[in-house]
Amino acid sequence: MAKIIVVTSGKGGVGKTTSAAAIATGLALRGNKTVVIDFDVGLRNLDLIMGCERRVVYDLINVIQGEAGLNQAMIRDKRVDNLHILPASQTRDKDALTEEGVERVLGSLSEEFDYIICDSPAGIERGAQLAMHFADEAVVVTNPEVSSVRDSDRILGLLSSKTRRAEKNQEPIKEHLLITRYDPMRVDSGDMLNLQDIQEILAINLIGLIPESEAVLRASNQGVPVTHDQQSDAGQAYVDTVSRLLGEDVPLRFHEAQKKGFLSRMFGGGRR
Amino acid sequence: MSLNVDRASTAFTFKGGMLPMTVMELTSADPERVRAQLSSKLSQSPAFFQHTPVVLSVEKLDEPHLALERLCAVCRAHKLLPVAVRGGGDSIKQSAWALGLGWFPTQENRPQAVNSSSDDATAEAVLNEAPLSAASGGRIYRGTVRSGQQVSASEGDLVVIGAVNAGAEILAAGSVHVYGPLRGRALAGIHGDREAGIFCHELHGELLSVAGNYKRLEDIDPTLLGRAVQVRLLEDQLNIETLG
Repeated sequence: MAKIIVVTSGKGGVGKTTSAAAIATGLALRGNKTVVIDFDVGLRNLDLIMGCERRVVYDLINVIQGEAGLNQAMIRDKRVDNLHILPASQTRDKDALTEEGVERVLGSLSEEFDYIICDSPAGIERGAQLAMHFADEAVVVTNPEVSSVRDSDRILGLLSSKTRRAEKNQEPIKEHLLITRYDPMRVDSGDMLNLQDIQEILAINLIGLIPESEAVLRASNQGVPVTHDQQSDAGQAYVDTVSRLLGEDVPLRFHEAQKKGFLSRMFGGGRR
Repeated sequence: MSLNVDRASTAFTFKGGMLPMTVMELTSADPERVRAQLSSKLSQSPAFFQHTPVVLSVEKLDEPHLALERLCAVCRAHKLLPVAVRGGGDSIKQSAWALGLGWFPTQENRPQAVNSSSDDATAEAVLNEAPLSAASGGRIYRGTVRSGQQVSASEGDLVVIGAVNAGAEILAAGSVHVYGPLRGRALAGIHGDREAGIFCHELHGELLSVAGNYKRLEDIDPTLLGRAVQVRLLEDQLNIETLG
């Protein structure tokens, strides 16, 4: 039985797809058979981030409507053997998703994979609700910004009431907080919410903290999940996040501003 | 102006209106049992019984015939004015009309004016809450009340053990107690209880209201923010003071 993890946030543009791709890659690199599903029907992006946009033939909606088999629609990742991508449809809309269809697809994937990562669309409507509905765990992606925190709070409310585990009164979904685009310098100067404030409001366990990093944009545009960029702070932070998801105890990094040395102060040295 | 002339020549105009109305949901058709309960209620809150119009709802009753006339008499004797009957079959409808009362169909049969399909925040809210002991009629909620959620106690006090986040709403007929930071909206005394109050460990509330008198976050003295406070009505003014 696979573990189903939804990557969600409420607010758009906080890094859900980047995180879903990075986490899926990280899990696969650690030897887990992993599939990452794009639930953002109509606004397909995951294929770009994973760098497989030229190999998409069939998609999730085709599978749900019985027009293609799962193995036809799934794309094998070029870099990691046991990682698969199930893309969303770009031409349909979210109404094409049905609860029964999603349940059936997740059911068959469950037999084959160790981890199923569901990349949720933004918002709290049908697409987002279906992405989270069958989840065992949730990674709530939050930026250090008030509107993102409030939207995450809203999503946490839905996770505890509108999901299968909630409806069937089973053990609740395990909720994890993933803070992205964290810039310790701007936190120190008061521009950004700090880690403690976010944690205090959302009151869930912190699974990772991804620093604001140039590597993320570069990775997105190159179609290589940032986990592969082990030179970068963001790549390392995602590896830490994956380790924590796997139950390991890894100390938190990148949450404190580094004192700039004399040379970088003089020349304004950029961060990787 | 022709409009004014028209108005002067008409004796009345029909207007749609939504008036607050008390519905008396009958669970027994026995006029004597109703009388007994009314008498005890009357002694508890005499202010309520001042020729208050009520709609008698017989939806929960499974009886084709009803001693409607006697029931109405019992109500009138306790200064309640039955104005209409809701639910029941044809014979109940006929006898309501015979008594000069209006009749409404049961709620399910009525065409739904508003279909709140958007997203029912209230439905989200009712999880992990346990009813308080029957005696107090209140409610205890354990956990964080999150943005978009609504937790309410239609009777008695509401106790939240956890935070109430921005965008969340907590309501109670009685007082509201928050053992944690209050960042959302808190409404106490929603049925008009002016003795109700709001108590919290850490005040950041977006809106505080007691019996309809409210203060927005902007109206609150900034020095009180983050403090443990109680909020109550004093001479029609919402008064916030620190605790301890």
